[in-house]
Amino acid sequence: MTIRAIAASVMASLLLTAPAAYAQEKKGTAAVPEMSGLWLVQDPGSGSWTDWFDNVPKPKLQPDIIADNQRMAASEAAGNVVNRAPRTAACPVGNLPMMMASSPPINIVASRDEVLMGSESNRGRFIYTDGRPHRDVKAPSYVPTGFGDSIGHWEGDTLVVDTIGFTPRVCDSRRPVMLVPGGGRAKDTTHLVERYRLVGPDELSVTFTWEDSTVFLAPHTYSYTYKRLPEGIPIENNEEPAVAQPDRQYTTTKAEK
Amino acid sequence: MALRGFLALVVLAWSTSALAQGEAAARPDLSGYWELRFDSFNVPRAPLTTAAQGALEMRRAKDQEAIRGCVNVGMPAVMDDRGVLDIRQSPAVIGMVARSPSSTRYIYTDGRKHPDAEELEGTTNGHSIGRWQGDTLVVDTVGFNERGITAIPGGGYRTSRAHLTESYKLAASGDQLMVTFTWADPTVFRTPHSYTFRYYKVGAMPEPRVLNCIQNDADRARFLTERPAPARF
Repeated sequence: MTIRAIAASVMASLLLTAPAAYAQEKKGTAAVPEMSGLWLVQDPGSGSWTDWFDNVPKPKLQPDIIADNQRMAASEAAGNVVNRAPRTAACPVGNLPMMMASSPPINIVASRDEVLMGSESNRGRFIYTDGRPHRDVKAPSYVPTGFGDSIGHWEGDTLVVDTIGFTPRVCDSRRPVMLVPGGGRAKDTTHLVERYRLVGPDELSVTFTWEDSTVFLAPHTYSYTYKRLPEGIPIENNEEPAVAQPDRQYTTTKAEK
Repeated sequence: MALRGFLALVVLAWSTSALAQGEAAARPDLSGYWELRFDSFNVPRAPLTTAAQGALEMRRAKDQEAIRGCVNVGMPAVMDDRGVLDIRQSPAVIGMVARSPSSTRYIYTDGRKHPDAEELEGTTNGHSIGRWQGDTLVVDTVGFNERGITAIPGGGYRTSRAHLTESYKLAASGDQLMVTFTWADPTVFRTPHSYTFRYYKVGAMPEPRVLNCIQNDADRARFLTERPAPARF
């Protein structure tokens, strides 16, 4: 064998093993797109939080939900305190639709069996991707939260997340219900499907589809785009504790609006 | 001669590639649910400065107020949580979630540096970057603030000047995780203070994942602040 033949053989070996090695590494760590990182939702220029939150295709709502929306809007317009419910141990944590639409970046850590999703560096969602089923969200032992119970699986390059088990009421938002962009609700009967897909190296598309026959007349679908912040630094909610400002998070008055 | 040089380069590239593959394959996955048990602690007494000795009672009261206020507990209490610690590892970042009120802790392993000090707003967990040295993850953390529970095992407390170095290494075929913490802060410690925790892997995370902390619970506040009455027999 000449030295040229040896060189050709080594080169061919290198070319063949390099992609295989890459695939093996991906298999050992994450045989799926790497979505970990800090992601900032892209507001197309709505002007205000409320406008942005509702800047989605309008869902077809049940008449009693429309009536309830109108009642809450009238109450707010009159300057009433919207929600004085004291925060107790029974108050659920979290608000998924608000978290996914909020200006603090979403911080994703995608491991093989579980995806952590935090906001403002605080804790948030846990999405199990280890193949487990949903917990029995009707069991007395289940504690409903505003994040619900989420499981995910990969369909090609798309992470599909299925969530049930939302709380029917919330304590510490401006309204006693968990609003869905466009005017709907998330509650104990609601089912959410999200589809996460990288549409560029630093661009993540998430499509939300809400289903609940007690709220929506048809599934309610909209999409957000998030941009990756490669050098972003997680921040922390550094508000003073409520013991120093006892009324701060429980009331909304006309003066504050 | 040119062909031999080319061949040498090819062989060098191949061996470098193989080495990189080996390193990636050898990188342990720390993901899992981890708990501390009664025999998990090797914590010597910290070598405190005189100033730190004098500040301990004030710091203890401040920590108690943070507990009462449901402030994020922060480091090192996050790693010393009474509940199970959830560690999740991706190629570029590791996330750690405790059950007690706390921010998720992020350790960046993508080769980034700490931000410049003027860009870094202090947090209870600080800013952490990590690098693998063989099978050991070495984590460097700066950028703390002084909120939350600041007490450090063995004595002392976290300040904004603290510098924490940690090493993470799996043991017992992956069923245990050994973590050595070393705190350096000339305002608190005369020499760096090191201690080690041994975590045990558990199969599941207890529900609820997040404990609900109620700041305005009067009974809870009384329990935390009133001096316990002596037991009578």
